[in-house]
Amino acid sequence: MSRNRDLLSKIGLRLDGRRPDELRRIRCKLGVFTEPDGSAYLEQGLTKVLAAVYGPHQVRGGRSKAQHDTAIINCQFSMAVFSTTDRKKRPRGDRKSTELSMHLQQALEAVIKSELYPWSQIDVYVEVLHADGGIYTACVNAATLALIDAGIPLKEYVCACTASLANNDVPMIDISHQEEIIGGPTLTVAALPMSGKIVLMEMSQRFHMDHLEKVLNKALQGCKDIRQILDEAVRLHVRDIGSSTGWANTS
Amino acid sequence: MPQKIQIRLASHRVSTSVAVNQRYPKIFTPGEVITSQNEFMRGHGTYEENSDLKASVAGVRQQVNNLISIRPLKSRYNGEVGDVVVGRITEVQQKRWKVATNSRLDSVLLLSSVNLPGGELRRRSAEDEHMMRQYLQEGDLISAEVQSVYSDGSLSLHTRSFKYGKLSQGVLVKVFPSLIKRSKTHFHNLPIGASVILGNNGFIWICPIINNSEDGASGFIQNLEEVVPRQDRETIGRIRNCILSLSQSKMMLYDTSILYAYEESLKYTVPELLVQEAMVDVAILTQQRLCMLEDT
Amino acid sequence: MFTTKVFIKKTRIGNFLKNVREHYIRDDIFCGVPSCDKCTPVESFLSSIHKNECSSYDFNHYLILDTNVILDQMDVLDEDVIGNVIILHTVLKEVKHRSLPIYKRLHSIIENPSRHFYVFTNDHHKDTYIKQNDGELVNDYNDRSIRKSCLWYMDHLPKEKFIFLSDDVNNRNIALEEGILACSIREYVSHLVNGAALEDKLSRKDYHIDSNTKDVFPPHLTNVELLNGIKEGALYQGTFRASRDNFLEGFVNVESLDDPVIVQGRTGLNRAVDGDFVVVNLFNKEDWISPSEIVLEDDGVAEENIDEVEKKERQLKKSAHKKKGEIKPTGRVVGIIRRKWRQYCGILQGGMDGVYQLFIPADKSIPKIRIETRQAEFLRTQKLIVTIDSWPRHSRYPHGHFVRALGKIGDQNTENEVVLLEHDVPHSQFSEEVLSCLPKLPWIITEEDEQKRVDLRHIDICSVDPPGCTDIDDALHCRPIGEGRLEVGVHIADVSHFIRPGTALDLEAASRATTVYLVNKRIDMVPDLLSSNLCSLRGGEERFAFSCVWEMDENANILNTRFHKSIIRSRSAMTYEEAQMTIDDKTKTDSIAESLRSLNKLAKILKKGRLEKGALVLASPEVKIQMDSETMEPLDVEVKKLFETNSMVEEFMLLANISVAQKILEDFPECAMLRRHPTPPTSNFDPLVKAGRHLGFDIKIESGKQLAKSLDDAVKPDNPYMNTMLRILATRCMLQAVYFASGSLQKDEYFHYGLAVPLYTHFTSPIRRYADIIVHRLLAVTCGSDCTYPDLLDKQKTGNLCQNLNYRNRMAQYAGRASVAFNTHLFFKGKLQDEDGYILYVRKNALQILIPKYGLECTLFLAHKGETSNIFEYNEEDQTQKAGDVVLHSFDPVKVRLSLNSDNIQHEKFVLQLVSPCISGFSVPPLSEIEKMEVVDDKKRKSANDGHKKKNKKRS
Repeated sequence: MSRNRDLLSKIGLRLDGRRPDELRRIRCKLGVFTEPDGSAYLEQGLTKVLAAVYGPHQVRGGRSKAQHDTAIINCQFSMAVFSTTDRKKRPRGDRKSTELSMHLQQALEAVIKSELYPWSQIDVYVEVLHADGGIYTACVNAATLALIDAGIPLKEYVCACTASLANNDVPMIDISHQEEIIGGPTLTVAALPMSGKIVLMEMSQRFHMDHLEKVLNKALQGCKDIRQILDEAVRLHVRDIGSSTGWANTS
Repeated sequence: MPQKIQIRLASHRVSTSVAVNQRYPKIFTPGEVITSQNEFMRGHGTYEENSDLKASVAGVRQQVNNLISIRPLKSRYNGEVGDVVVGRITEVQQKRWKVATNSRLDSVLLLSSVNLPGGELRRRSAEDEHMMRQYLQEGDLISAEVQSVYSDGSLSLHTRSFKYGKLSQGVLVKVFPSLIKRSKTHFHNLPIGASVILGNNGFIWICPIINNSEDGASGFIQNLEEVVPRQDRETIGRIRNCILSLSQSKMMLYDTSILYAYEESLKYTVPELLVQEAMVDVAILTQQRLCMLEDT
Repeated sequence: MFTTKVFIKKTRIGNFLKNVREHYIRDDIFCGVPSCDKCTPVESFLSSIHKNECSSYDFNHYLILDTNVILDQMDVLDEDVIGNVIILHTVLKEVKHRSLPIYKRLHSIIENPSRHFYVFTNDHHKDTYIKQNDGELVNDYNDRSIRKSCLWYMDHLPKEKFIFLSDDVNNRNIALEEGILACSIREYVSHLVNGAALEDKLSRKDYHIDSNTKDVFPPHLTNVELLNGIKEGALYQGTFRASRDNFLEGFVNVESLDDPVIVQGRTGLNRAVDGDFVVVNLFNKEDWISPSEIVLEDDGVAEENIDEVEKKERQLKKSAHKKKGEIKPTGRVVGIIRRKWRQYCGILQGGMDGVYQLFIPADKSIPKIRIETRQAEFLRTQKLIVTIDSWPRHSRYPHGHFVRALGKIGDQNTENEVVLLEHDVPHSQFSEEVLSCLPKLPWIITEEDEQKRVDLRHIDICSVDPPGCTDIDDALHCRPIGEGRLEVGVHIADVSHFIRPGTALDLEAASRATTVYLVNKRIDMVPDLLSSNLCSLRGGEERFAFSCVWEMDENANILNTRFHKSIIRSRSAMTYEEAQMTIDDKTKTDSIAESLRSLNKLAKILKKGRLEKGALVLASPEVKIQMDSETMEPLDVEVKKLFETNSMVEEFMLLANISVAQKILEDFPECAMLRRHPTPPTSNFDPLVKAGRHLGFDIKIESGKQLAKSLDDAVKPDNPYMNTMLRILATRCMLQAVYFASGSLQKDEYFHYGLAVPLYTHFTSPIRRYADIIVHRLLAVTCGSDCTYPDLLDKQKTGNLCQNLNYRNRMAQYAGRASVAFNTHLFFKGKLQDEDGYILYVRKNALQILIPKYGLECTLFLAHKGETSNIFEYNEEDQTQKAGDVVLHSFDPVKVRLSLNSDNIQHEKFVLQLVSPCISGFSVPPLSEIEKMEVVDDKKRKSANDGHKKKNKKRS
């Protein structure tokens, strides 16, 4: 394999100059829209994602869907036409976005304390503005931020991270598009970093058992690192709003 | 009418922050342990896991006796009895109206909780049920007060006061509920020639000065014929834009802040107030005046 | 741990797509110079002790190289004299992009601590990274990056000196302007202390072209023209293959055309070298020709002189004719897309003075190479390695440079070295790292081992091998187990127990892929301790084995098969001859003898069944060379003797392989390593069918079974050897059997044509074949005695491994043949003999003669090279040569006189002269028989035991 391109140079740097256990640069912002109840923008390397949260609100369209003991989490994933190098019309509801929507829902259901909102519904919309590898992880991370911005109670952050093997030996995290293409199997993990629980795990190809553990551990470490970054952003955001409002209504 | 619309690159946007440097309380984020001692009761925004009390939202801690809760800085409207809300009728059902109030479930306005024309003590007949749509129909805006909170969290409203009822000519502004400052009164006749209802649910109603001289039966009368003078309309528009500026900069909304913002905004024309820089400018100046007020 | 670095977008336009890549710039990359106190010390081989001594700089210095220096002058860099070199990452990337082989060589130097090379990642360093300007060419940008790094080093370490070596004049000049010490590699090397020997190794790209020299070749088209031509379908691209017999002819294999394109003559070939990826322009159909049948050799001695070539071209043209049905597309090479130049073995052509010498490669498909050397006198006695640097238009020959000398011409060791090098056989000593993977002696069987394995020490197992065999990898047993049933076991050395996946030993073995047998030398795949001791199933010693045990009935029907690891003690290691004698000696009734007899009986049944299914019996003349153990000179050449026992062992090995193949495919449908033998295309059989027709036989080729049958039927009582000859021809029609990963092909492609079995693999010789080790590992997993590892289950990796194994196997085979050929030559040196032979093919100006006694195939020229004979008349239809009333057909027996022509020491040739049938004016009278007898007798008396330990079982 390695098709004469090593993902990790002999000096231990990846193609973009990162070391194997380094994340891409993550930049994020909460409360980017006024209309939704919560919203967030997140850049993970060149992957750029917008997330918006509406709710909890009355279940719309057919009351029969409503649950008496919990809220419905509804996720919608979509990609902008300009998000990849080749411009492509991406109809909503194609196989890939349906799958990603479901995976997103699975990850979020694990953290939202939805039992607090019977008969209600929470809508989460994510839109990929630029795809450069790790779309799902960026979506999960952005959605977490948007939920926090909306003031929806969560057990804790849910963070996602990808990991793969460089040169079939060294685990590396946060795989870029380039690395996805030329590299081997990619492992995507969504986890609750504080308790270490895994809520979603997906492999693009089969891993050998011997490799799985170390790759998984790296991915979990990546989730923890991401949580750290997100947490800082949240604190900064809360501090900013709090200072503006003069901490009214809170004390 | 040609309109000037400004669209900017994200990188050229103006920071809307008017945060003043001050000491800030400890901030909790979801999953963070608040305390491991178990003598506390868990309130809103907290949950218990492995005998630890943890935060479930990002916000600051509030403690009332043993009850610890974390208050998020932004959330859907959480109604409390006595709150003034502005809402929109979404459905007319038997003996009740459904009202959208920006809370997580639709609120209800029971037929029995309204003052029907013809006196407070009038018996409600079957005829009234048929007449419901004539009193309030889908899309109508009302002001009301929270009467009670049901167990599932939905609100029951009433309009049994002359101040509440159907809204007629005016402008609705939606802001985050947490920006509305709780105060004794949420109905303000501002001296600048407009009346403002600051709904606790984040819906703000701006209208010409209400003449209170009419009696309570006015609750279902909508006068759309009367022409509001241009000056009043301009004032209403200016107040709307001021509220938007303050809300964009996450400043609390109450009579004083709106009044100050209005005064500071006078150097701009009403349309100019939609430009980012002007909005931030108004917010900053207002913030400064409020600080001075506090200091004195 | 994550630091946000300044972040720059890198765009790459291609296909009108905008690609944005991240590029992180770091502050944790260090200079690697030992005397630096600013940087955190990192692992760096740069040395404060090593001194680069160059007379043009009177101070110690570090070297920074430009890309062109590495690409062109790798042979110089290979020398130990140059050290303390800083390789910039920009350069490394460019090298990798431009030439993978050079990158690999460079990399092995970088890895070698004693060479003191260091890689500086300048493109991710915060101070040396520069942004590519708009419209700046990549080359200019790289040059700028390199200079920037030089400046940074100078600034970073003012106390040290750095010299920038570049062959790009432009870049050098700018560097000098910027205050960087820069010079060309040529200048540097010529002033290097101890560097005299290096000068020969400099690549010559900078020949001064005299403006008045005549161009020998037409120009190549530009790249753009080539690409457009290919796009429009006017030009074709393909791999160029030079003819071995005719230096003015070659073929281009174009994928889109059925037949290879013929290119002829100087302008037709236009500087293409064997293996190059070229572009051809097809002629109009009326100008198409058939492949020439004459043999032409390049006798050119001088660089400038092309008269002689022109003469040959005319000759070729004259001979060019248009045979119906054999006309093939013809064209000329108009451009070369990719050169496949490598290093070539060969010798210097004699008779030239001065520094310019002509080098004659051993491979006849490679043209002579002009090199510059100051040690021609010495090199003339040596075999050398030379590489091609360039081939300008005005030069008759490509220009190259001397790489290294291998040893004296004609010396056994030198010739072995040449054979190994020419066939790319890794033959260096095993490294320390590899040897450290070996088990420690004394090796004992622990209790743990005993628990894991089935104890078969009580069973009478024996091995049968050629005499002198030290790497015994198989042993057999057979015993009755009642009810008329027999238990038959094949026990294979458990090599995979010692070679664990992923170790240095494993990697080395995988790269070597096979043990290579030369006449007097064996190049082991695994170190001697394993191959001749711990893994070898020697008689009387307890060894680990992997056993395949069948229960059979009397008619050799398999009732039940099982595989397990075991411990065995072979009772006796026999030779084929001994085993045969044991079977034949009716007085012997011990269990071994009984066991061998049963095995022999079963083997015969198995063989019969196999042949009935359509397995082919093929023949190729295999010879054995008797060596004098002291002088290492060949004493005699003889065809190998075969016993019944050879066939017996072979049958059981085949059976084991087939059983294992079924088992591993069942459990690993995607990644089992199997061996297939593709059905040859019918066109391959043309010569065989033709030959059969001339003899009056109808050779059917529709299926393997029919072929086998028609071969069996083709017997002529008056010419018993004829059948063998047909089989030899049939063998040449076959394709190579290859290894493959089961997941990479469809099921019906797994077929093994020669053996006529649907599934086959190699299991029985893990000591000398790596494929068997992989198969052992797979089998060990299926029977639960070992666990998998990632690469074993990776279809892609297995596929790649197969490719290497196939390549190495083929090369090993060629190397073995080349070694036999060399020793046969050595044997015949100075001898003159009359021998019986048979005509294999009839050609226009020659006869191809097979001499079975020595397994030799030689050409008997009927006329002088390039001339048509006035004695013989060639009949193309019947493939005969007629002289007077004598007609020579294919397969006719002849008597020829054999001698060795050593005029060309690199290509010693057998010269044949016809003795009988007698053709006046052409044939020679028989030698005096008596004289000859004496010579041979004399030799025979001296003959000692065979000195070489070649084991060459032909199984599969």
